Amino acid sequence: MQLKDKSKKIRRSLTAATCSLLGISTTDTPAEEGDWEFDSAVLYYSEVDRVSAIEPVITAKREFSDEKSLNLKLVFDALTGASANGATPSDQPQTFTKPSGEGSYTASANETPLDDTFKDFRMAFSSQWDQPLNRDYKASLGGNFSTEYDYLSLSVNGSLSRDFNKRNTTLSVGISLAHDTISPDGDLPVGFSSMVIDTGQAGFEDDFDATREGSEDTKTTLDLIFGLTQVIDQHTVMQLSYSISDSSGYLTDPFKILSVVGSDGRPVDYRYEKRPDSRNKQGLYWQTKHHFSKDILDISYRFFWDDWDITSHTLDLRYRWMLGGQQYLEPHFRYYSQSEADFYRRFLVDGDVLPDYASADYRLGELTGITLGLKYGFKLANEQELSMRLEYYLQSGDSPDGNAPGILSDMELFPDVEAIILQFNYAF
Amino acid sequence: MMPRVAAFLIPLTLLFTGCTNLGVEPWERNILAKPEMQLIADPIEAGLDDHIYFSKEASSGGRSFAGGGCGCN
Amino acid sequence: MTRLTRLEEADGYWQGRFQAMASPCEIFMEVDEASSANRLLQIAADEAWRIEKKFSRYKKDNLVYRINNSSGAPAKVDDETAHLLDFAQQCWELSDGLFDITSGVLRRVWRFDGGSHIPDEAAVKALLPYVGWQHVNWSRPFFTLPQGMEIDFGGIGKEYAVDRTLLCLQEVTDAGLLVNFGGDIHAGRRKKDAGAWSIGIENPNQPDSANGILKIHQGALATSGDARRFLLRDGKRYGHVMNPKTGWPIENAPRSVTVAADTCTEAGVLATLALLHGEDAETFLKGQAVQYWLND
Repeated sequence: MQLKDKSKKIRRSLTAATCSLLGISTTDTPAEEGDWEFDSAVLYYSEVDRVSAIEPVITAKREFSDEKSLNLKLVFDALTGASANGATPSDQPQTFTKPSGEGSYTASANETPLDDTFKDFRMAFSSQWDQPLNRDYKASLGGNFSTEYDYLSLSVNGSLSRDFNKRNTTLSVGISLAHDTISPDGDLPVGFSSMVIDTGQAGFEDDFDATREGSEDTKTTLDLIFGLTQVIDQHTVMQLSYSISDSSGYLTDPFKILSVVGSDGRPVDYRYEKRPDSRNKQGLYWQTKHHFSKDILDISYRFFWDDWDITSHTLDLRYRWMLGGQQYLEPHFRYYSQSEADFYRRFLVDGDVLPDYASADYRLGELTGITLGLKYGFKLANEQELSMRLEYYLQSGDSPDGNAPGILSDMELFPDVEAIILQFNYAF
Repeated sequence: MMPRVAAFLIPLTLLFTGCTNLGVEPWERNILAKPEMQLIADPIEAGLDDHIYFSKEASSGGRSFAGGGCGCN
Repeated sequence: MTRLTRLEEADGYWQGRFQAMASPCEIFMEVDEASSANRLLQIAADEAWRIEKKFSRYKKDNLVYRINNSSGAPAKVDDETAHLLDFAQQCWELSDGLFDITSGVLRRVWRFDGGSHIPDEAAVKALLPYVGWQHVNWSRPFFTLPQGMEIDFGGIGKEYAVDRTLLCLQEVTDAGLLVNFGGDIHAGRRKKDAGAWSIGIENPNQPDSANGILKIHQGALATSGDARRFLLRDGKRYGHVMNPKTGWPIENAPRSVTVAADTCTEAGVLATLALLHGEDAETFLKGQAVQYWLND
């Protein structure tokens, strides 16, 4: 009986092994050890009437024996355009001093004030080394360097994972430490200080300097991620992770201001924003991928919360629809919604006591984002792959509860942000 | 915030022990081994998306480090 | 090697022939037009030749040759080879080390040419350190073979080629098809004759006659053992299936075993495993719930 049971098991296992063997494609291109594999992309991001960015990326991967690998990544990011400075629109044209203190920019009547002085160039380089430590453990070490005209970020990270249960279950823990330095042109504004407008007055430069404190500041961020990856069956894999991120230091945006409005809704002053100097973010992330007979469903959900009282939900759906002939179409849908930070104020009211912190940055307000996208890809011979995607992103802020004073009750305080994302990919 | 952490770790552990029946044999991994079945199938796209949404929304992280690395506007 | 294909029309189907893997290969195709038959035949021959070129240990310009001459250095392999190595490892595990693609080294002393030369024990023993999958390091995509060892996909290559060829053809046609590479067969369902193919099973005692006609609708047949490859000494018959643990042929095994299964690869491995069980071959086969034919 025992022999029979064992033999039966051989047949079953053999059938499965044969199916696996025959279910494969037969590309005949063994890459030699030491070959670099490259992947490249260009992203074009353009918001209607606002920021646009072009972002080329190239990654190189080299595999060594014993499953060791090195990944390098270089990203360039050229940004131009205008960004909402936080002030409210008004029925009169408004003039603002540029963040550098040299010159001013104007917002027309009834228009959302945009700071159009943004021109930035970012370069980021990162490297990551992965290797198994033994049969069950894998380790990864990496470093990132990112620099802009007025911003420098350095980070190191490490992670360790362990396989269990015939490598069907993987537990991982990762840690990252980042140190960022911001040194804007025109120095850092004093939180809540009033913006000085150059109307030709004699003491403008001294007055402007009085709103400045120091030429640079820093922030440090410590991230931890705990992950669980589980193979469910031959077609399904699932991941769960919990992440916690602790930032401290200068978390304010030196380019953002708040309007201080009178009872008629018109601005009487503009104050530089001020945020707390620490932030703790946490997230729970769940992702599942399922392979149907040909197509692949990729679904993920993230719940995020922080001690600024922001909570958010992110749902992401992708369906890779295989067209045959090594081509696919991949529709993408993403839904995002967040609640506002506890210190978020669309504006300050003249005469009210100043809060401890305040920001009118629309990204800290209550908002909803929808992304709709379509990606098309195909594989060429020699394991090369081309793909492109076009996405539309719509971000809608939520209007206040109708208690905006005076003229503001008729103004668009939360204009939509619409963006087009176009990306080309080439792996070779 | 710490008590919330503990509350989430407990179901995770339960799930893990409950998962020991799940999974496949090594030779049944041909589908799971496909590049397009990796959890992050396109790392470049994932990185670009993380950067876009980091710049436009208040949340970050989840599938990877929340990071920072830019003074994004 | 001749790279020729021949096509003949038969009763309600086309029969194409070519030579690959030292075997006569036949493709039966239920199509009407000679042009479509010819196209299918070319696809089949190209796939068979591709696999032969890629996995034959007799070629000097392929990955198998590079692995066998790697002097112990890791070799990076492509996906298809990786799947075959995975499969070979699983067969090795399932057979408790009897099915071993590194046992070909033993051919240096064993020559199954129908003669009577038996190597001396010392020569066999000297080769044993170079046999055994447990000595290799297979860590996808890197395969490391210790110096002096060899791998040989001969035990699964032909059956794999049969299955692959049928799959390739079925990607371009839904016609009834049968692939036969030297007696290893995989058939897809026919449209005519009640959907069945008639296949003769060779009697190894009388190599040129057929002792049975088998009707199959779809599925595969594979035979292990060879009426022509043996040694005869002092009345004892040594078949060519080797025990990698002792370096000697398996004793008292049937001359050949034919197994029917869903795929040719599976049938072939089951047949070989049966031979590796020696006199328990039939017991083993009975436990597998497969149809089989033994020739003692």
